Amino acid sequence: MIYAGMDIGSRTIKAALFDTGSQTMIACKLRDQGVDQQGLTRDLYNHTLFESGLARSSVARSVATGYGRNAIEFADTTITEITCHAAGVRHLHPDVRTIVDIGGEDSKIIRLDDRGRVQDFAMNDRCAAGTGRFMEIVARLLEGDLTSVARAAELSVKPAAISSMCVVFAETEIIGLLASGTPIQDIMAGVQKSIASRIVGMVGKHAREPFYFTGGVALVPGMAQALSNMLGHEVKVSQSAQFTGALGAAIIASRQAA
Amino acid sequence: MTDRPAQITLDQWESRYASLLQAGTIWPDYCGPLSHYVHEGDRRLTSLIFDNSPAAFRLWNFLLTEEDRLHRARAEGRRLVGAMKDLGTVPVMAFSLDNLVAFYPDGAWWIPCVMELGAGLLEIADQFGVDESFCPVRAMLGAFLTEAHFPIPDLLVCSAGAVCDDFSAIAQRLNGMGFPILWWEIPHRRRPEEDEKALELPGGRTAPEAQVLLVKAELQRVCSALEALAGQKIDDARLRAGIRKANSVRMQLKRLRDLAYGAKICPMPGLEMLIAEMLAIHFCSDRDETTAVLADLLSTAQARVQARLGFGEKDAVRIFWVNPVADLRVMNLLEQCGGRICGTEYLFTHALDLIPEDLDPMEALARTALADPMVGSSADRAERICRDIRHFRAEGVVISRIPGASHCALEGAIIGQTVQERLGLPVIEIEIPPLTDAMSPTIRTRLEALVETVRSQVCSVQRRDPEKIINKGKAIA
Repeated sequence: MIYAGMDIGSRTIKAALFDTGSQTMIACKLRDQGVDQQGLTRDLYNHTLFESGLARSSVARSVATGYGRNAIEFADTTITEITCHAAGVRHLHPDVRTIVDIGGEDSKIIRLDDRGRVQDFAMNDRCAAGTGRFMEIVARLLEGDLTSVARAAELSVKPAAISSMCVVFAETEIIGLLASGTPIQDIMAGVQKSIASRIVGMVGKHAREPFYFTGGVALVPGMAQALSNMLGHEVKVSQSAQFTGALGAAIIASRQAA
Repeated sequence: MTDRPAQITLDQWESRYASLLQAGTIWPDYCGPLSHYVHEGDRRLTSLIFDNSPAAFRLWNFLLTEEDRLHRARAEGRRLVGAMKDLGTVPVMAFSLDNLVAFYPDGAWWIPCVMELGAGLLEIADQFGVDESFCPVRAMLGAFLTEAHFPIPDLLVCSAGAVCDDFSAIAQRLNGMGFPILWWEIPHRRRPEEDEKALELPGGRTAPEAQVLLVKAELQRVCSALEALAGQKIDDARLRAGIRKANSVRMQLKRLRDLAYGAKICPMPGLEMLIAEMLAIHFCSDRDETTAVLADLLSTAQARVQARLGFGEKDAVRIFWVNPVADLRVMNLLEQCGGRICGTEYLFTHALDLIPEDLDPMEALARTALADPMVGSSADRAERICRDIRHFRAEGVVISRIPGASHCALEGAIIGQTVQERLGLPVIEIEIPPLTDAMSPTIRTRLEALVETVRSQVCSVQRRDPEKIINKGKAIA
């Protein structure tokens, strides 16, 4: 049986199909977010099915998750992204105990118990510090795309000190650093360090290893290393890091149908 | 419309009000259609959902007519006492005198929510340098200056010392703006040293005798000011009678809380319970009517429990809620997300605990004041919260932060950590500003995720026997 999950995030929409026979994600697609969330999600979903050679009728059940989940009327039900990320990462990495999810406009820490159930979570969605949005703003200031600027940061030997926790003030600091001739790679490395310190504050003292990193920011070069350095624990980038929410939604759809 | 418990909109209350009147329901004179308050500016009412019982209708009317009641008391020659920061001690003294009416000017912190910022009170506070880095109680400054809400009290009393920094700053600003305040000191409660005499406080804590005596002396000073204002003495018998009446309200609230938070099916929504609990602080300016309003609510809840009728999903997750919310709509939201309130700590548990009746009455009040959760350590507060969570068998905890409130930044983490370590329950912290409209999706996500987390952690058999959840928590700790 095929089950579908759709993760309607603040910056991108993701769709995933899960086959209970093979217990694998058989397809996944992503597109940018826009005004008509329902229409964009429907198009993405149909496109994912089409490319997989499947009809809508072959999907037994679908679950929508993410920030815009309640806008998706054609999904059978909605589940929060916290539960879905946990299910998705647990499927891909059964040993996971702590998930760090940094998306476009929020970040989360999800702690799982030995059976893979969410034990508790912490979430930052009121402040751009500690989110992908922060990195995008910085990359724009540094006149580069996020990936290339982040790659450059991997060469930094002396990350700049970004003391402000507020994106607006951090932006001012970065302009100052640029004016004083601080190399771009050091500025970006400093930004990554600042984001990592923000995340460490959310982790608290109870988080357990192993840590897995999901969300769009997990794919930014150097970010997992910055988190590992700050946490003092290895942080592994999850497989299909951008799709764990959608995959988890599809897996939960299959459980609900069982 | 049926008499089965339901949560209904303001519009639905309009037609229900008409049909209940037609059917012969009798309410006190102050009760009328809730739309009346919307026309006066209380626009938030149109976004809330209300309990459909006549008792809840009376409660809402009682709450929303408080300003009228205060103006009427003033017109009748009664003297008004604004009891600030102290949540439930000074009003007990004030109501022991015949011609005093105490109220809680800090309650103005809900005006920006109820009037959807229409009164402009926060902007006025901004102009006086009390900006959004302060708690929404700063709305009180605007209420004093516009005089568009409560009448200016004849006597303003405020506790100082172990109170939150932002409140203290707001009250000092008020004092500096020409509203003189009688300050009384409440020290930070500490544990008695080995060589000190420890006195028991309501709620199970202790304090050194020296601290109790200090607070007693301070309250005696307040008492003298109240006597001077009233032109009447508060003798022991009068104060004892006042304490007994306050205790009768507290006892009603205890019964109501036990029913509402303990019953298998929730007989009274969280929003109405929040308002009912707030009555303990200053009796909404009418102690006798408070008793009548609570009696009505209690009998409604009792009838519903007996008939096994109530609200929400059968497997609604039992949530313990810490701190009052600046936006009342969030209480509705919790229920819409599959939760129900099972236990609260709205910062005034000492106003819910019984005042000792077997002691010198002024000392009894001093001990009650010292039992205030806000004058002790956050660890003390967390301990009491854990105890109440066990009592109400809650399965998850929401700590709602009050934006700008100085105490919230630190104590939330301490309370959350203590609950997690001792009980193993999931805890979330959310910040609730006076209007949550733009943040509603993110608040919803957290509440829904908490509900999902509890449901996934605990199998249905355990959820039917919540005692097992606590035992599981103990094992984790």
